Order: sequence, then structure tokens, then C-alpha cells
Amino acid sequence: MAGLSIENVTKRFGETEVLKGVSLDIADGEFVSLVGPSGCGKSTLLRIIAGLETQGAGSVRIGGTPVEDQRAADRNLSMVFQSYALYPHLTVGENIAVPLRMRRLNGVQRLPLVGGLMPGTRAVAREIGQHVADAATMLEIGHLLDRKPGQLSGGQRQRVALGRALVRDPAAFLLDEPLSNLDAKLRVQTRAEIAQLHRRLAATFVYVTHDQVEAMTMSDRIAVMMGGRILQCAPPDVVYEDPDRIEVAEFIGSPKINILPLEILPDGRLSLQDRALDLAVVEGARGVASLGLRPEALRLKSGDSPLRGRVVHSENLGSEMFVQIDVADLQERITLRATPEQRGALALGTPVALDFDLHKALIFDADGARIRRLRHLNAAASEVA
Amino acid sequence: MTRDWWKHLILILGVIIVIAPFYMMVSYSFKSPGEIDRGEGGFFGRQELMVDERCVKLRDPDRDDIAVAAGRFPGHSDSDIRDALLAEAQSDCSMRPVIFNYTKAFTEAPLLRYLLNGVIVTASIFFIQVIVALPAAYALAKLKFWGREAVFSLVLFCLLIPVHAIALPLYIMLAKLGLTNTYAALVVPWTISVFGIFLMRQFFMTVPDDLIDAARMDGMGEFTIVWRVMLPTAVPALLAFAIFSIVAHWNDYFWPRIVVTGNRDLFTPPLGLREFKGDGDGSFFGPMMATATVIVTPLIVAFLLAQKRFIEGITLNGMK
Amino acid sequence: MAVIDVSMTDAPRETTVARATQERRAAWALTAPALILMVIVLLAPVIIAGLLSFTNYSLGNSGFDWVGADNYEKLFTRSTYEKMFIATLTYVVTVVPLSVGLGLGAALLINTLGRFREIYKTIYFLPVMATLLAMAIAWEFMLHPSIGMINRTLEATCGTPFEVVPFIANGCADRFPLWLGDKRYAIWVICFIGIWQGFGFNMVLYLAGLTSVHRELYHAAEMDGAKSAWDRFRLVTWPALGPTTVFVVTISCIRAFQVFDTIEAFWPQGGGPNKSTYVMMFAIFEKGIQQNLIGIGSAITMLFLAFVMFLTLIQRWLVERKVHYK
Repeated sequence: MAGLSIENVTKRFGETEVLKGVSLDIADGEFVSLVGPSGCGKSTLLRIIAGLETQGAGSVRIGGTPVEDQRAADRNLSMVFQSYALYPHLTVGENIAVPLRMRRLNGVQRLPLVGGLMPGTRAVAREIGQHVADAATMLEIGHLLDRKPGQLSGGQRQRVALGRALVRDPAAFLLDEPLSNLDAKLRVQTRAEIAQLHRRLAATFVYVTHDQVEAMTMSDRIAVMMGGRILQCAPPDVVYEDPDRIEVAEFIGSPKINILPLEILPDGRLSLQDRALDLAVVEGARGVASLGLRPEALRLKSGDSPLRGRVVHSENLGSEMFVQIDVADLQERITLRATPEQRGALALGTPVALDFDLHKALIFDADGARIRRLRHLNAAASEVA
Repeated sequence: MTRDWWKHLILILGVIIVIAPFYMMVSYSFKSPGEIDRGEGGFFGRQELMVDERCVKLRDPDRDDIAVAAGRFPGHSDSDIRDALLAEAQSDCSMRPVIFNYTKAFTEAPLLRYLLNGVIVTASIFFIQVIVALPAAYALAKLKFWGREAVFSLVLFCLLIPVHAIALPLYIMLAKLGLTNTYAALVVPWTISVFGIFLMRQFFMTVPDDLIDAARMDGMGEFTIVWRVMLPTAVPALLAFAIFSIVAHWNDYFWPRIVVTGNRDLFTPPLGLREFKGDGDGSFFGPMMATATVIVTPLIVAFLLAQKRFIEGITLNGMK
Repeated sequence: MAVIDVSMTDAPRETTVARATQERRAAWALTAPALILMVIVLLAPVIIAGLLSFTNYSLGNSGFDWVGADNYEKLFTRSTYEKMFIATLTYVVTVVPLSVGLGLGAALLINTLGRFREIYKTIYFLPVMATLLAMAIAWEFMLHPSIGMINRTLEATCGTPFEVVPFIANGCADRFPLWLGDKRYAIWVICFIGIWQGFGFNMVLYLAGLTSVHRELYHAAEMDGAKSAWDRFRLVTWPALGPTTVFVVTISCIRAFQVFDTIEAFWPQGGGPNKSTYVMMFAIFEKGIQQNLIGIGSAITMLFLAFVMFLTLIQRWLVERKVHYK
């Protein structure tokens, strides 16, 4: 086990710059997810860590040792691939044994027939068999060891790929969208299992996914990547509640966060829909800004409000309810989280007024950077951290 | 490139060996016999004027020629006239080696006729193969009938029989029917392509049934469906099969060698070349290589123009 | 009510039956030409050859005698046929592994190249396209003992450091081989031309096979510790090419058994110096057609068919059994 340290890594494919200077420190035993839309460079970063790609500049250290001059096979990492990449001609047991055979037996010992006659082959082979059996037991695939990958279901193949990764004791596990080829139900189940596996092995995991739910549910920290940069790397709750940038706020959270246009008046006060709020910025530019409101930060209000509109669509999930409201002068609909008990007041077409908690309002400047220094004008004029 | 230099070294060595006979064939077709003998002249030869001895010999003036020519050379003795005529013949019979070689190729033997035969035979074979195989393939792929499995098993069994292998009994049958030395003998054994049936059946299996049902709803009969609906959908597969078939039969030497004996009018290009070699002496290397070049060129040019299609077609077998 | 019931159930059934009959008739009409030709052109000759191989039949004779297994006995006892088997097997056993190996090697090399791969592919495929007979004649000129390009090139190496090679030293001291006229070299020259002509075909099939190898498997192999190119080849490439290899080997075998053009072009009579290149197809041609010994020709035909069918059946069995990883 070891930590990883990535410093200022860049990568370009021809004209396109895929990674624009990425730095990330991953502690020993930590589970870090790299999450972002497709094309953000997350898979490339993982492959650079693995040694399957070479970075343009910057350094990668595994357990404090720079690995630039080591090829993938020497970096002592395990990887689970999106397509699982199982060897189709080998049985499940043989597939899981490959990493050990390649490392513990030399070229001659690996030869069919002849290899078995070489001194020491038998003992090592027995040892490898034991490791394979242990890994299979842990993943509950002991009964599949003699089958070929072609005879397995997607979920079973995924377990075999995991088994091949954890049969040895690598410095870290790299997982490249391992759940994306599974159906929804299996994905939820496997998600929990991988998280448990991580706790049990206490190993370093780097997990690439485009699914923010996977990242939120499994990780110690999430690194949100976009356009070849890490925008924020923090624990899931921090990324959700306290995003550094508007893109992060928009990417994390389902349903998506509501973004409303905001104006910063010359005196620093914020104005929504031409109505001044009891909130002001302490410093910085005046003019256009954005207000981010999670669906749960909004509530129904009777009476006057800057946000008034009609219910145009609602989705009742049983335990909660998401209501889309068309607000005049706003291009996008606003999503509100309500309880199913409120559905009587939220029939389609009903006019509603919305209110929100100023403490939960996320303010972003024109560039999308978060404005954290705010003054509450009403009550005790306090600053939100 | 720099890292791969050793790969290029090996591959270029391979290229030299692969290209060598082509290079030599084309180069000899440009050169004079002397240059071929001495191994001179680079690729194109020096293209110095050369005298065709046979042509001169043919025009060797006899008494009548001299008498006729006497009017043109008044006051000369017969031997002078003879020398003058010889000189004329010499200059008329001298030409550039490349022209000499290619003219000889077309005049010594009816090469055009051979080429035409090649076209007739390969085209007939291909068209009959399609006419026979396409309906059968359609029936095997899309129609339900008692005995279908048996017919298909027969097709699979026949795939095991290479036509070249059964050449002898086929030859006996044709001889008994008195069909040797006819176009029919060249074409008949190839009219049935079990491989074509198999290939087209596999292709038709991928055509949705809905298309055929729609055609039936429109009132088409099964025969009409084969030619009006299935044939157009099968064009890419047929094109590949055409290349496979045409290349195989244009180049085939074994079967024409067996069933065509002596009758030059039926010679296919390889047979013509073989005969050229048989009766040529050393000085005919140039024209012979010109003939070989003419025979090989059409397919090579077509291949260079449509490489992907050709490779697809020739390796059709790979789709099995 | 009953009337309506009948019309509603019977009418469709009648049309269904009628349609089935119609479909069956159409199907037989469509397959009939193919069926008839298959029987006449492919099956009947096999049976005829099978029967004739037990006779002493000749074309032009009115009758024939049944001679039992005499023809087959001759095949396995006479030295001519022993030479035939030796020549055929030498050719097949040399040409198949080498043309498959070179095809694979060329495909692997070309596949790793970025630039120029199309050019190599095109050039290596040229011999497959070219009329073999024409190319055989070109080779004959190249191999001409005195004015051929090959011996001229070899002579040019005399007096250079190349002379340390014993073969060249001997050639310079005495003379270089006659190639086609020398029974020690004739069969190997034929083999060489067979490989020259066939390896490009195998290469193209292997290139197609290589495109189907999943790239991520190579990355997995790398992560699993397969450091050398050989390890990755053993772990990923070679197993993935299994189906291609089975096919390529079979088709190369069948083509190798059918070698004829080059031998007939070089030695119209007799099958080479000391019958060293007297292969089966040439034997069928010479015995059956030129010498009108139909019985013995048929026996060779039957043997030939047995070889080819055996090979194809092995191929089909392998394809279904082993290389389908399911």
C-alpha cells in the first residue's frame, strides 16, 4: 500500500490539450474518485498513473518514489478496465492467476509442459493457486473458476476483473469506470461491495467515473475534473454543499442545482429579478453574478416573492417530490424539492411563490468562481464563511 | 520512424524479393535481346534502334523483287539493287526494342484473341455462378421447405470438394460428351459455386424478413423478389464475390490446360503465354515478357485502383 | 353464427396451406439449378473417379476390366509414386509453415507501423493477384543459370567479404547452382515460389484478425506484468488469432496440395529433374490426361480428395471446438 502524488501533469494528443497541469495527492488507504463529463481527461490521468500513457510534463510518485522511468508492469499497480479486458482463452481461475504467474514465474517456467518440469515451478504454482482461491472466495466466484469469460454474465465478468486486480498486493488499485457496463440494479449492489472491499483491504483506490452518484457514495474524496483540470478535490459533502465553482455545483447533485441570474448593485447588495436581497458582497466586482440554489434550499411561500411562477411538471418519487416551476423572465425552470404531502398545493398549473434560505444560497461571480465573503444585512449582519 | 528502422529494414528486404520478378518482367519487356543477354541497360534499356532479323529475312529480295525494283534504280547492277533493297529492309525492320517487343507480343500470337477469350470465360463463369447461386441462396436463407436442411448439408459437403481435384473425371465426362475444346468446357465446371451459395446465404440471413414480407404484400412472386429485392441488397457482397471469382479464373491455368488442346482460338491468356514459351527461342525473351506483362497488368491495375475491395474479395474465404 | 365461424377459421388456414405449398414449390424451383449442377459437376465426378480407380479404363477404349485395388497397390509400391508423395509432402510441409509464419510476421510488423503500412500491404499482396503462370516464367528467367538475375547477383559478390559464406565461396570457385536443372534445388525453388506467392494472402488475413484484438487486453497484460513483447504475444495476440490461424493453415494446406502451374511451366514433361517435383496434381495431369491411364489417375484423385477433405474436416472441428472461447 502506498499513497500517490501527482504534480503538474500535462498531456496533449496532437492539437488538443487533454490535461492542463493536474496536481493531486492521494493518501495511503484513501478512496479518491476522479469524476467529470466525458472528455474531461479523467481516464487519461488514470492511465498516466498506471503507466499506460506518458505525461507531457509533471511527475507521478507512488509511495514517494518517482515512477517516470518505470513502465506499467513495474509500477506495482492493479487496474480494473471498463471492458474488464479478460483473456478470452483462459478460464476464470487462469485469468486471476495471470498477474502472479507473470511476476513469480520466469519465462521458461511459464512454458506449457516444459515449465512444469523446472525446479520450483510446482511450489510456486501451488502458492498461486491458493491466492486465486482466496480472491475467488472473497468475491464469491469460487464456483466459476473453470469457466471461460464468454460463459459469464456481465456482473460475473466484473467480479473476475476485480479478482484479477486484488489477487496480489499492489501499491494501489486503479478502477476505470468498472460499473458502466452493468445494469442499474447490479450497479447499485456492486457499488456497495466495492466500498466494502475498500474498507476491508484498507488499500489506496483511484476510481474513475462519469457518474456523480457513484463518486458521492463510495469516495473519501472526489476530484471533479473538467476541461483537463481538477476544479475541486474534497470530501463528497463538501463538494456538494460548498462547491468552489459553478461548474462543480452544476455537475454534482441530482436533480441539478438551480442557477439564477443575479446582479451585484454598486453598493454590493445582491439583486434577484430586480429585487434587492438582504445579502451583500464584501468586495470584488459589481455587475452580473449567479445564484445557486439546491432544490432542497427552496420552499413554498405564501405572499410576495421575487420568484413566482406556475407548476409545469412534477415527479413524485414516493419519499420526496421534485416539482418544476416555470418562473416568468427566467429561461430555465426551477426545480423544487417538496414532500409528497404537499402535492395538493402543487397541482399542474398552480401558481406558486418561492422563498429560500439565504444561508444556503451559493453566490458565484461572473467567471463562475464562488463568492464566499458575504454580509447578511438583516438580523445580525454576519458573514458567511 | 527512427525507432522502427529495423522493422523497415526487414520489410524493405521483403519488398525487394516480392518485387524482383515483377521488376524483371517489365524491364525485360523493354529491352533488346542483346541487352537481356548481357544484362545491361538498367530498367528501361537504352532503347537503341535494333534490327529485327526475322523481318529482314522475310524481305530477303529474290529475282522478281529485284526485277520490280529495277525501275527505281536505273543503271544499277542486280547485286547493287539487291544491296539497296536489303538496306531498305534493314531500315524498315529496325525499331525501338520496346516497340519491337510489344508488337511481337501481339503479332506472333493472337494475344488479343487470348485476352478476349479470357474476358468471355471469366465473365460467363461469373454471371452463370450468380444466376445459379443467388436463387438457391435465397431459398436456403429465407424460405421454409421440407428438405432445406438436406440441401444445405449437401452444400456444406460440396464445399469440401475442390474442382481442381476432380479435374480428371470432369475431363472424362466432357470428353465423352465431345465437349473438349469448346468454351463450354472452359466454363461448365465452374458454373456451380457452392462457396457462392454459402456466402450469399450467410448474407441473406442478415436481411430482415420484413423486407421480403413487404415485397410479398406488394404482390411480388418469389422469383421477382430474388432479382428485384435481394439482388440490389446483395450488391456489396456480390462485388466482393465478383473479384474473388474473376481473379481466380483469369489466372487459372490448370483447367484450361486440360480441356483445351491445340485450338488457339480458345486459348485463355495463361495458355497463350505458355505456348509462346513453348515455341520461343532465347531471342524471344523480350516479346514473351511483354506478353506476360500484358496478361498480368489488367488485374494489377484494377487491384491498385481498388485495393480495399480486392483484398476483401480475395480473402472472402475468411468470412466463413 | 356457425357459418361465420367456419369462414373465419378455415379461410386463413386454407390460404396458409396454399401459401406453404406455393413457398415449397418456389423453393424447389429456385434451388433446382444449383442442385442439379452440384450433383453433375461435383458429386458425380467423385463417384466416377471412385469407380474408375478400380478399373483399367482408357479414353477411346470401348470396354474396361475391373482390376480391384491394383491401382492403389501401385500407388503405394512403385517408386514413381513414392517420389510423388515425397515431393507433395515436402512441398506442403515446407510451404505451409513458412508462408503462414512469414504472413504472421509481416502482419505483426506492419501492424505496429504508423506510416507506410498500406504500401507494404499492397506490395506484399501483388503476387496473390498476379497470374502465377506468368510469374513462374519471370522466375524462370531470374533463375536462369547464366543470364538470370540471381546468379548474376551472386557472381557480383565474388571477391567481396560475402565470400566467407561457404555457399558463395563454392559458387565462385566452381559455378553457382543450376537451380531448376538441379535435383537438389528444384523442389526448394518450387517451395520458395509457393511461399513468395502465398504469404501476402496470409498476411492480409492476419491483419484482419489483428484488428479484432481488443486494445484494452494489451493494457491489461501490461498491468499484469507481461513486460516483454513475447509475453504479450503469448498472452493476448496469439490466442486472439487462433481462429485466423486455423483458417489460414487449412487454406494454405489446400492450396499447397494443388500446386501445379509452376511445375508444369518449368518442366512440361516428367516433373522435374529426377522427378523431384512430381507433385500429385502433376501426376493426375500426366497419368490421367497425357498418358490416358485413367485408372491410376483416378486413384490419385481419390487419395487427393481424401487428404483435402480430411484437412477441411479437421479445420471445421477445430473452429467449432477449440477456438470458440464460449
